[in-house]
Amino acid sequence: MTELVQNLIDGLGRGSIYALLALGVAVVFGVMHLLNFAHGELITVSGYAAYAAFSNGWSWYLVAPLIVVVSVVTNLVIERVAFSRVRGSSDFTQLLTSFGIHFLVAAIFLMYIGARVQTFAEPGWIADTYSIGPIRVEVFDTVVIIVTFVTLLLTAAVLQRTMFGLSIRAAAADFDAARLMGVNSDRVIRGAFALSGALAGIAGIFWLMRAGHTSPTSGINPMLNGVLAALIGGLGSLKGAVIGGLALGLAEVMLRTWLPGTAAALTQGVVFSLIALLFIFRPGGLVNVAHAERV
Amino acid sequence: MAARPSLLAAWTGNRRREAGLLFPNLRRDVAFPLAGAVVLFVAFVGAGLLYTVVVEGASAEKLITAMFIDAIMVIGIQIYVGNTGVFSFGHIGFGAVAGYAFALFAIAPEDKHTRIPNAPWGLADVEMGPLPATAVALGITLLVAVIVGIGLGRSGARSGSVAATVITLALLFFTHEVAASWNELTGGERAGLTFGIGDTLQTRTPIYIVLLASIVMALLFARSSIGRLNQAAREDNLAARAMGINPVVQQTIALLLSVAVVSVAASLRVYEIGSLLPEFFFFQYTLLTLVMLVVGGRNGVTGALLGVGVITAVRESARRLGSDGYEIFGLGLDGPLDWVFREGLPTVLLGLAMVVFMIWRPNGVLDDWEVDAWLWRRFIRQKPPAAARAAPEPDTLDLSASGVTVEFGGFRALDGASIEVSNREIVGLIGPNGAGKTTLVNVMTGMVDPTTGDVHLGEMGLTSEPSHAIARAGLVRTFQNLRLFSSLTVRENVEVAALMASVHRNGGTRADIDAIVAGAGLWEQRNRRAGQLDYGNSRRLELARAAAAAPAFLLLDEPTSGMSDTESLAMVESVRSMAAAVGAGVLVIDHDLNFITGICDRVYCLDQGRMIAIGTPDEVQADAAVKAAYLGEAAQPGKDPT
Repeated sequence: MTELVQNLIDGLGRGSIYALLALGVAVVFGVMHLLNFAHGELITVSGYAAYAAFSNGWSWYLVAPLIVVVSVVTNLVIERVAFSRVRGSSDFTQLLTSFGIHFLVAAIFLMYIGARVQTFAEPGWIADTYSIGPIRVEVFDTVVIIVTFVTLLLTAAVLQRTMFGLSIRAAAADFDAARLMGVNSDRVIRGAFALSGALAGIAGIFWLMRAGHTSPTSGINPMLNGVLAALIGGLGSLKGAVIGGLALGLAEVMLRTWLPGTAAALTQGVVFSLIALLFIFRPGGLVNVAHAERV
Repeated sequence: MAARPSLLAAWTGNRRREAGLLFPNLRRDVAFPLAGAVVLFVAFVGAGLLYTVVVEGASAEKLITAMFIDAIMVIGIQIYVGNTGVFSFGHIGFGAVAGYAFALFAIAPEDKHTRIPNAPWGLADVEMGPLPATAVALGITLLVAVIVGIGLGRSGARSGSVAATVITLALLFFTHEVAASWNELTGGERAGLTFGIGDTLQTRTPIYIVLLASIVMALLFARSSIGRLNQAAREDNLAARAMGINPVVQQTIALLLSVAVVSVAASLRVYEIGSLLPEFFFFQYTLLTLVMLVVGGRNGVTGALLGVGVITAVRESARRLGSDGYEIFGLGLDGPLDWVFREGLPTVLLGLAMVVFMIWRPNGVLDDWEVDAWLWRRFIRQKPPAAARAAPEPDTLDLSASGVTVEFGGFRALDGASIEVSNREIVGLIGPNGAGKTTLVNVMTGMVDPTTGDVHLGEMGLTSEPSHAIARAGLVRTFQNLRLFSSLTVRENVEVAALMASVHRNGGTRADIDAIVAGAGLWEQRNRRAGQLDYGNSRRLELARAAAAAPAFLLLDEPTSGMSDTESLAMVESVRSMAAAVGAGVLVIDHDLNFITGICDRVYCLDQGRMIAIGTPDEVQADAAVKAAYLGEAAQPGKDPT
């Protein structure tokens, strides 16, 4: 029982970060049907920005907002330079564009900064824990869960209460209809990329705090987890993305505990296969958003 | 109605019976592709060998050997991705399965005993030559492909489907994780597996044989009826199903063939390199092969080979310019452009090539240009076909829908609607906007499941059958919004439908495609892409395609929508002659009353999901209920009175 609760908290902490990433992927998918494989590069870029800032003696309190700003700006630049040019193209084209950007960003850092892993100091409190009865809780997990919760509330408020949020939700619910209603304007798509960048930025703060380093290929894991979580949730569904993120975090922690010996190293592979199975039997994801084709 | 001769039976009666034949036209679909394959092979290998003559040395030889193997791999991927349009991340994952299987069987036991002494199932003691090892690897990989193929089929994979991306990506990651963490089997992430010195591939002969074979297979497959059906489903999945194609079956065949080629390529790659690490078959190689595929043009074998050549050249130049001691025209690591020419440049160029091509030329340099098709167009003169002759009419057959109710949520789109059509007549279905006309056709063609009600064709129940089964039973439809296979040519559009008919309709005979194309007035345009036709011709092509499927009934959903009055009038003739030519009954939905009265023997009128009138066009026009239904709408200014 204690172990289960312990795992639940660990899983929620991990899952919160995935949820933020997945929500960013889902928001962009909603407005332009793009499965964004370049999403993780926001963390690569902000990781290097954080590294540069630390080299100049900045503290985490200054670096954290910097990460969010860099992430938003990077996402807007990527949208402007590449994605705006493939808007309306086939899913195939859009997908491969993001795949290309994923490698391009990584390779540029490799070319100009080098393959070496750049480390920076984690905040002092990252390993601190406190106890509630027999359960040991990390301060870090607590902060992550609380910040994620607040971020999700704010995002929900934006999505529910503003015109911009309404357009994004309309686009996510029925892409074509929303487009016919004039939603496919530059402003909404850019807004979606900015929101997606901000969410990735907040996730990035925690990701980088925990990792304490960045390298050209450090975008790959956040990208995979964000995309997978969004897929579990059914891509178009924003609520689904959050649920998918939490589910992925919990599944990872549980599998790591339960799988025997060698198989424990296969955690990610097993999660992947489970998701593939999910898609085989429920092509729409956990939260089913069926898209009937109009004829 | 007057006796209607079935021209179709005449067209096919005196022809060789070609039911189920893989290659409809032996000269065009076999002889020319074989010649084309030899041309491609000679050109590609020739270019590679020329390089090794100009640039001597072991590293040039190695580069070209690797390029030949990459070419096999890319052709393998092209067979699936190009023909089906389903995007696969997983082919390199299949490569990993084959590569490890090959290495585990082909490496000599003494070498395995040092690396993986505790390999499961006594694999460390297995001694096998490279050829049987390749065969075993092929078998194992195909087994995995069958499982993945079933999954892909179950998920309803189609062009642009996210499910396919996820399933194939899962395969890539799963194989990589197994390879990286199952140390007893694979030697782990760092050490991997290694062949003994001198045990690796020493000659290019097997590479040449496999390369030629894979080019031949890819070209033949693209020209085979299975390849063509895949291409149709790639262009428009829904229209393909409405034509009687079951994309899942065709895609699975494409997958197995494709994986077979990839598997052999992977074995060759491992055998040539002489060692195997998990990263050999992971993201980096996926990126490389995909860029090679899309730069030349994923829809053609010529394009795939061009991409392999170009990307190999670009990568090698970038690698040399980015490393010490090389320079061209004073450019290099220490030259004035040292911020460009440095390490990492090859990967930057790969990523850049992917993005640039997706933005400006998503179909690659060559798109689907193919050497054999070019030779065919260039050297074979085609004469317009002679006019088709009349033939006996088919047996009487009735199509009926009875008591069909469809509810979408709380909304009742159809409320107990019934309709009956014989294959001796042309029947119209009219009604105000939102009356449920298209929904009724969708129910009859299996695209919408009715809440209650039955659809019968003669004695056969069609209710809730899948679309492709209904099309095979003889119910073929057109679409309100055109759905042509837009990057196939006009003739290929018709040919795909005729292929389906040859297997599933009319006792296995095949319509004369050229006569149908000419009959639709599209002979001059036969080699143009369907997507390039103007609107009127597109409509005529859709009608011709439906007719070529040799239907018992044609269901036409607003064939004149968007047409001028003159064009509509011409359409009356087209529909009449097409229906007469194939001996099909017609059910036509339209808004244009002139068109409906000009063409129909009987008319049904639907309003708010119910049939409110049946009769001759004049009777229905005079019907009080019909008038009321339309007047209700006409009372609002600006509405179409029909």
